[in-house]
Formats: sequence, C-alpha cells, structure tokens
Amino acid sequence: MSNGLVCFTNCLLFQEDGTLAEKDLWIDQEKGVILDAQATFFARKERPTSLVDLGGNILSPGLIDIQINGAYSFDFSIFDGDEKAYSDGLGDVARKIVETGVTSFVPTTITQEKALYPTLLRLLRPVSAPGSACVLGWHAEGPFIDMAKRGAHAPSFLQTAPEGFKSFEELYGAANLVDTKTWLESYGHSSDVGVRIITAAPEVDGVMGAVAELDKRGVVYSIGHSIAHSDTAALAVRNGARLITHLFNAMPQLHHRDPSIIGLLGASPHLTSSFEPIVGHGIYSGAQSPTTAAASRSLGAFASPPPGSEAFHEMDTPPQTPLKRTETMSVSKDFQRPFYELIVDGIHSHPNSVRLAYSAFPEGCILITDAMKILDPHLKDGTHEWRDGKRFVKEGDKLYLEGTDTLAGSVVTLDKCVRNFVKFTGCSFGDALKCATLNPAKCLGIENRKGSLRPGADADLVVFDKHGFPLRTWVKGKEAWSNGWSL
Amino acid sequence: MRLIIRDDPPAVGDYIAQYISKRINDFEPTAEKPFVLGLPTGSSPIPTYKALIALVKAGKLSFKHVVTFNMDEYVGLPQEHSESYHTFMFREFFSHVDIPPSQVNILNGNAEDLIAECNAYEAKIKSYGGIELFLGGIGEDGHIAFNEPGSSLASRTRIKTLAYDTILANARFFNNDVSAVPRMALTVGVQTVLDSREVVVVVTGLRKSLALSKAIEEGVNHLWTLSALQLHPWALIVADEDATAELHVKTVKYFQSIERVQEEVVRNQEALKAKGRMVQAGIAGHEQDYQE
Repeated sequence: MSNGLVCFTNCLLFQEDGTLAEKDLWIDQEKGVILDAQATFFARKERPTSLVDLGGNILSPGLIDIQINGAYSFDFSIFDGDEKAYSDGLGDVARKIVETGVTSFVPTTITQEKALYPTLLRLLRPVSAPGSACVLGWHAEGPFIDMAKRGAHAPSFLQTAPEGFKSFEELYGAANLVDTKTWLESYGHSSDVGVRIITAAPEVDGVMGAVAELDKRGVVYSIGHSIAHSDTAALAVRNGARLITHLFNAMPQLHHRDPSIIGLLGASPHLTSSFEPIVGHGIYSGAQSPTTAAASRSLGAFASPPPGSEAFHEMDTPPQTPLKRTETMSVSKDFQRPFYELIVDGIHSHPNSVRLAYSAFPEGCILITDAMKILDPHLKDGTHEWRDGKRFVKEGDKLYLEGTDTLAGSVVTLDKCVRNFVKFTGCSFGDALKCATLNPAKCLGIENRKGSLRPGADADLVVFDKHGFPLRTWVKGKEAWSNGWSL
Repeated sequence: MRLIIRDDPPAVGDYIAQYISKRINDFEPTAEKPFVLGLPTGSSPIPTYKALIALVKAGKLSFKHVVTFNMDEYVGLPQEHSESYHTFMFREFFSHVDIPPSQVNILNGNAEDLIAECNAYEAKIKSYGGIELFLGGIGEDGHIAFNEPGSSLASRTRIKTLAYDTILANARFFNNDVSAVPRMALTVGVQTVLDSREVVVVVTGLRKSLALSKAIEEGVNHLWTLSALQLHPWALIVADEDATAELHVKTVKYFQSIERVQEEVVRNQEALKAKGRMVQAGIAGHEQDYQE
C-alpha cells in the first residue's frame, strides 16, 4: 500500500553550504514537493512506502539556467508569427533539456524589433508541463544596451529610455511588466506575467532611472552589454541591480583604476564608511582614548592617521593617481554585491578568469550556458545550418561562423559547465552545484521553491554520478529522464 | 547483574546490537504482540544505533512490530530544534529503520499539561504490558535517563530539573552557551526503568569510569541512580575498556568469568528449547526461561 511518499536513500545529498552529506531525502510524489522528513514522521505519523536506492551517487536540486537563447534547434529570439509553432518549440526544449540536469530555465531573447516584444514576451510566460523543465519566465537582453558592447544584437534595434521606466513599459508592453512580486505563489499557471530578468546598460539614457522601479516590481535588473564606469555600475547596484550579465563578456575589461562592472565583485560592503583604521575600534585602546577614536571617525577617511601605524602614513601624501572621491566612496553600509553570470565553457571566459571571479565572490556566482539554438548534446561536430543562409562549424564546445574564426556563441550544456567549474576553480562538486542551483534561485528570489532541497520546495532533482554526469532527472517528483542507469 | 567488557565503543555497539537483535527475533513479535523497547539518547548509544541500522539494512532485523518508548525529552525546546531528542532519534535511528511512526513514543516537552503528559506516558507503557527491554546510557554523575543524583529510586515519569553538571555537559550542543540549555526535562523514573523485564546499559569512555564503579561496586545510592540496577533481576551493563578504569581488578575478573558461564547457559538453554519445540511446537513465553 503506497502513501505516495518516496525516500531517496544511499546518496550524497547536496547541502546549502556546498558540502555533500550521506542523508536521505523524502518527497511527496503526489504533491511534487520535498518533505520535512522529521515533521512527516512525528506529526503526520507517516514514512515513505517506496524507497529509491541511488547507489551512493549524488542527489542535487535540479539545475537552473537563467540565460539560454535556445536549444535543440529552437531559437527563443525567432518568432515568425506562428504562435503555436513557437509554443511547441519552447515546449520541445523544456522536454528535452532535462537530460542536461536542467529542471528550470529562463528563456532569453536578444534585442528584437520593437513590434515583436508584446507577443513574444506573452508567449514566454511561465509554464510547467509534466515531465518537462519549468519555464520560469523570460530574460530580455536589450534593446536598452550600449552600442559599443552590442555583441550580436542588431544595431538598428537598440534604444534609449528617455522616459525611464515608462520607456520600458512602452517597449516590453505594460502588461508584461505588472507587479510580479506574487508570481511565486501562482507561477505555473499560464496566466502569469513572465518578466524575470532585464539586461540593460545603466549608462544608456534613462536606464538608471528605471532600475529602482524594476527592482520594486520584483524584476531582476541585470547590468550587461555596457561600458559603465565604476561609479555608474555601483550606483546601479545601489538602485537595485541584482545581477551582472555574462561577466567579462560585453563589458570593459578590468582596469585597476576604473574596474568598471567587473570591479563590483571586489566592492566592500564597508565602502561607506569613513575608512577607519583598526585603532578606531579600540584595539589599541592604550594608545587611543575613546574620545580620539570618535574624533577620527568624524574626521573621515583621510584625516591624519593616528600615531603608531606607519602603513597609513601614505595617506598623508596622496598616491600618484588622484583619488576620485565620488559617490562610490560613500555608498550605504549595506552595499550588496550583485550576483554575476559566468559562461564556463572554457572559451567565453578563460579558466583563470573564472577562478578569479569565483575567489572574489563565491556566493554571487551563477553558472549559465548562454547557449544558442545549436545546443544539443547529441549534435555531431561538423557544419550545420544557422540562419539567414549562414552556416556554422561546431568543434566540441566551440562554434564558429563558417569560414571565419568568429565565435558564434555557446553550445555548452549546464551540466558540463558544472564539471568544468570544478576543474577551473578547484572547488568541490557541491560548491559548483550551488552555483547552478541555489545561487540562481536566490537571485530570482525563488530559493524556497526551486534550486534547493528545502521542505516545501518542488521536488526537482538530478542524480549525478561521481564524475558529475547526470544519471536521472525528476521534475516535481516525477521521473522526467534517465540515461538508462539503474542499480 | 552481568557486565560485559569490550575493547572500544564500536565493539560495545556491535555487542549490544547483536544482543537486542537476538532478543527481538527470539520474541517473534507480531502486530498483536509487539516487542516493547525503551531507548536512550546521547553519544554512548550511537554505535549501538549504527549497528542496529546495519542489521536492518542487511535484512537480519526488522522494527515493523517493535514499539519504542524514549527515556526523556527537554521541556520547552521545539521538537524540530537540532538538539531536541525528537531530532536526535529521527536523525540517528528512526529515519534509517523500518519502524512505523505510530509505534514511536517520545515524551512531549511542549505539552500544555506536563504532569498529565507524564502520567499518560506511564499509562501507555502499562497498556503494552510494560517494557520488554530498556536500553540506557549513563551520565558522568551516574544518572540514568534524566534521573539526576538525589532522584528517588522509586520515581516514575515526571518533570525533572537538570543538575548543573548535566547542563554544563550539554552546553556543547548549544554553542557552549550554558544559558541556552533547557533547565527542565521530562524523564522516565528510576522505577520505570526497573519495571522493565530487562535493562541493558551502555557505559563507554574514561569519564564514565567512576560512575560505573559507584554503580556496581558500592551500595544502592540515590546519588548514583544507576546503582538501583543492583535491584533488577536481569540487568546487563556493556562497557568498554576505558570505562573500567576505576573498577577493582577482581571485579573485572569476576564479571569476565561469568560472561563465559553466561554463554554456556545460553547455549544449553537454546539446545533445550530447540528440543522442547520439537516436542510441543508453538509454546511462547520461553524468553524468561533462564531468568529465574
């Protein structure tokens, strides 16, 4: 007699601190959610009647890809007027992509002709079909991006937002931007509004003024395709920017005097303060009375240093580069660094860059594929049709326009990104999983429903073998894919 | 009383698990006639739980028809708190074995009427016809369950204030914050333990050695509540080498010699039982044969 509860056992279970623990996981298969095992046992007086032995493999929350342009020959950015064909194509991707361990994703569109947006975005509302990955809503890259960093986006479609948020409403359609704070309670119904992420350049006219409103409405504003200076980037974050789009790509490279967007990863939460040497906290209380400590605080950062700390004498004679004492230096105390996306295919970012970013801010790291429609783990290397009569050459994870050495986008799968990430950074497999599950979920504010194994979260699960290859995928408690592995 | 000495805590755990397993299997429990088992928390019984889990996973033991009663629980600590005994029992044992949740009994330290909770617990034990085997551990001060030094040896399930020693010892589970350790607990009484048909106690580690000596080498004394075990007709203490440090050599030698005798008696009894079964199969109540 089955009570619909399932216990996954004999597995290494993903923990939110990035470790893997020998623990069981209980789910309610009927409701498709993860259970609080102890409460189920003592309060509901039930225990799972069926047991899934995972043979010592790794059990992880399903992966979440928050930037993916297409897959299995379907391009989310191409809409030819046939709504059914588009929805079918999207559904096809959602059904197939579970083989890469992805159980939810945010389809991403590149800059479109203005007239296409309202329809396209309506078609990308959240949907969750049985046995398929969950479509969480849409991520729009552009059109409010910088011409200088437009990448593959069509220059003629780029826009400014002279009227701030109103320009955003006008472009994406006001109905597509209504307050979505409550989308979590109801997502999965086709009536939902699907706006999740908007990538825009903060220096483009009007964008900065719209950030706070986007944030207020629960939309993740992401900095990208931009040449913003450090100050502008920091201001955007203060206004509510929560994410950086494909870090290192389509943005100025790190310059130590103006580290720009990449520099946000190094921003200290204490930037605010009038910089206080240690003595200000009374560690050397013998040398400094509380009154002088208070005095040095009020004098601010570069007041003459207290005696005895030679290292700070340099402050008396300013370094050669003039210090720009702009707003950046006095952002509020709770300056929160934004999450950042990394394409870990070994091509779009050098392994060393990946490690550098991760070392600077591990909690903010989100792995994405940024994949093109060519993404398909079954596709053989060679020459394939692309669009507009162009063809591309696939060589492993590299993709070139035929006859050139121009990279035409990414074709890496997210599970491979996770494996690469372990190699590139030397982190544990659990830490890498966190960057493809919990971190993206936190960025979207859905970590109680997706990307975690918290009680009440959807039972979206992936079993990985010890080498990080997916063996089985569950969506909402039902097995959606298996590579044929069984114990 | 029997005292079994093994090399280290895992060996102690294995011995007790084998012992309990045999008792349960010999009992042949059914839904109508379940095996009633008393269980402790704490670090000492963990190796025993691990070994029991291994036996269940190997298919050699089942808790389908076992009813358990836990010794104690803190008062006022939420059930889902990481240090509650509900959490401990679920994490260390119940989640890994096939026991139906309805057969698990743990005192509710958050009950509105704590005294009624205790009385109901005693009544429930009685409704099952008493506890067949009570597994226990002891504190450094010789307490069994939360029956701190000075507890009445005739006590039953009730509210207890924890001794300062116990609070200090448990502070390590509460971020070393003594003020976070609950001050009160519900616990079965010394008499509740003594009423069970058999008592098995784990005593491991050097720090328990004085308590072991006080409990078995001196008189019955409410300052070392485990000593009440001397009044029980069928008690077993399983200790590791470290825990015997305060015992007299002759005590150790004596108990080692009776272990051999015990083994022989058990073997003989089994042979007799096997014969008896062949003559009149299906006779129950055999488990008390060698108790008198």
